[in-house]
Amino acid sequence: MDIFLQQMVNGLTIGSLYALVALGYTMVYGVMRLINFAHGDLVAFSAFIGLSVYAQIFGESATSLGVIITVFALTALSVACVGVLLERLAYRPLRTAPRLSAVVSALGAGLVIQNSVMLIWGPNMKIFPSNLFPSTIWAVGGIVITFTQVMILGVSSVLMVGLYFFIHQTKIGTAIRAVAIDQDAAKLMGINVNRIIMIIFIIGSALGAVAGLFIGSYYRGITFDMGWMYGLNAFVAAIMGGIGNIPGAMLGGLLLGLFNAMITGYISTQWAETFTFVLLIAILVLRPTGILGETVAEKV
Amino acid sequence: MMNKSTLITLCLLVFMGFFPLFVDSAWLAIGTTFLVFSVVALSQDIILGRAGVFHMGHAMFFGLGAYTTAILNVNFGLPILATLLPAVLIPMFFAFLLVAPIIHLRGDYLLVATIGFNIIFIQVLENDVFGLTGGPNGLFGIDVVKLFGYELSSQTHMYYMAFLLLGITLLIIRNLDRSKFGRAMFYIHKDEIAAQSMGINIRYFKLYAFILGAGIAGAAGSMFSIQYSAVSPEAFNVTQSIMFFTIVLVGGSASLPGILIGTFIMFVLPEMFREFETARYLVFGIAMILTMILRPRGIWPVRFGNIPSFLKKEVK
Repeated sequence: MDIFLQQMVNGLTIGSLYALVALGYTMVYGVMRLINFAHGDLVAFSAFIGLSVYAQIFGESATSLGVIITVFALTALSVACVGVLLERLAYRPLRTAPRLSAVVSALGAGLVIQNSVMLIWGPNMKIFPSNLFPSTIWAVGGIVITFTQVMILGVSSVLMVGLYFFIHQTKIGTAIRAVAIDQDAAKLMGINVNRIIMIIFIIGSALGAVAGLFIGSYYRGITFDMGWMYGLNAFVAAIMGGIGNIPGAMLGGLLLGLFNAMITGYISTQWAETFTFVLLIAILVLRPTGILGETVAEKV
Repeated sequence: MMNKSTLITLCLLVFMGFFPLFVDSAWLAIGTTFLVFSVVALSQDIILGRAGVFHMGHAMFFGLGAYTTAILNVNFGLPILATLLPAVLIPMFFAFLLVAPIIHLRGDYLLVATIGFNIIFIQVLENDVFGLTGGPNGLFGIDVVKLFGYELSSQTHMYYMAFLLLGITLLIIRNLDRSKFGRAMFYIHKDEIAAQSMGINIRYFKLYAFILGAGIAGAAGSMFSIQYSAVSPEAFNVTQSIMFFTIVLVGGSASLPGILIGTFIMFVLPEMFREFETARYLVFGIAMILTMILRPRGIWPVRFGNIPSFLKKEVK
């Protein structure tokens, strides 16, 4: 039972990281119908940026709430800039092109980001500083919970709830939903579609940056090519929940995290990926548009 | 009867046929690799470019063919020629088994499901299932082809075997284009809903394209394992699949010269510029983005309007 609860905690932690990354995929997909294959690499990039920001500005030993907030804010800001640049250079020129052209462009952008990281920070694994968060550990009835895990669970829940209300309650959120439904109609209603897409990329990249920093401080070792793995898992989470659907991405992320933790805890780590994709395919066979996806009639 | 693109294809084939006469063995190896990967890219094009099925796991079928030959030869001692038929049929069987239940999925869902198949395939290989696949190191020591007592083992032999394979593939595609299946695929790609209303069974034809493509890729995989006399999992991972996917779209989907140019750019150019090892993929990524921005339909797109040219000609 202890193992079960421990894996539950671990699973929820990984799951909320997946969910944060999945939100970036699902928002871009919802508005542009584009699989943003570069998003995973952006997450890896943000872990490296965060590492540099922390080491360069504060040195390796500083630890306080102010430091944490500054590191997160600076990382999110710079990664959001990269995200906007990505959209401007690689995706905007292709908005009217065939859909798969934009996918190739996204794959190319992913290669560019991944290899830039390799050229800047080197091909070897970097160790993320352990003292960004206090190393407090709580033991509750046989389960170990670290401060980092609590931070991950807390911050990502706040961000997810915040995003949900932002999308559903504010004026910009309404505009985003309008653009997602019909870009031309939204344009006719006076919505600046380019600006909305920019906002989408800012939010998605910033959430990815937070996830990247958390991944760095949770797993400690970061490599230039780790983005592909997290990206793919998060993308699978988004698909499971029903891509384009924001609560779906959150649900998919948590579900996948829990599932992964249970598989690695009870069955094997060697076959973890296999189980992930078997689950995905099973869900798709039963519900072809994901768990929370709606069945939309194709437009003729 | 002969149009411009047939002429270009023929010229290219003649050039490729005489290629081994004036190059050294290193270039011959690159040439052989080019031929094998061209065949795989063409088979990916049948699925992605012609039938319009979003498919990003093609290295799996390539690998299934290669491993079929390797396993039957190394573990069971079958002669290479006897493994050729299974190397085509087994990928076809798996294509049917895996894709039939999900072929109706919307494009992007299918894309990620096929990536999933490829990842599962790699895990099966690396975990050495039933002790057959040799784990992460793969299998080596594959025999040479023996035909009527002759050993076809030199680099030139390999080249001409791959050349023959490419020739057969081009013949299959030409026949496909002129058949009922080719026309059906063309209309499915053009407008799926209209095709469906005309009574074309979309699932059937998409699956047909998938199985055909898997079979051809399997044959290429068999050739690949003969060329290197070894197979290992990383030659068939998702990165390779993404390469084949990219070749079709960068070259120009459903266009033969486009696919060959795409293969050249993606597989031969990197071989030629080994010295720029570290920055190579950065340049590659930039080139992919630029190509798509400047030529969204690929470098050498097919030129046909609403009615494919081979149908128009019969009307004249």
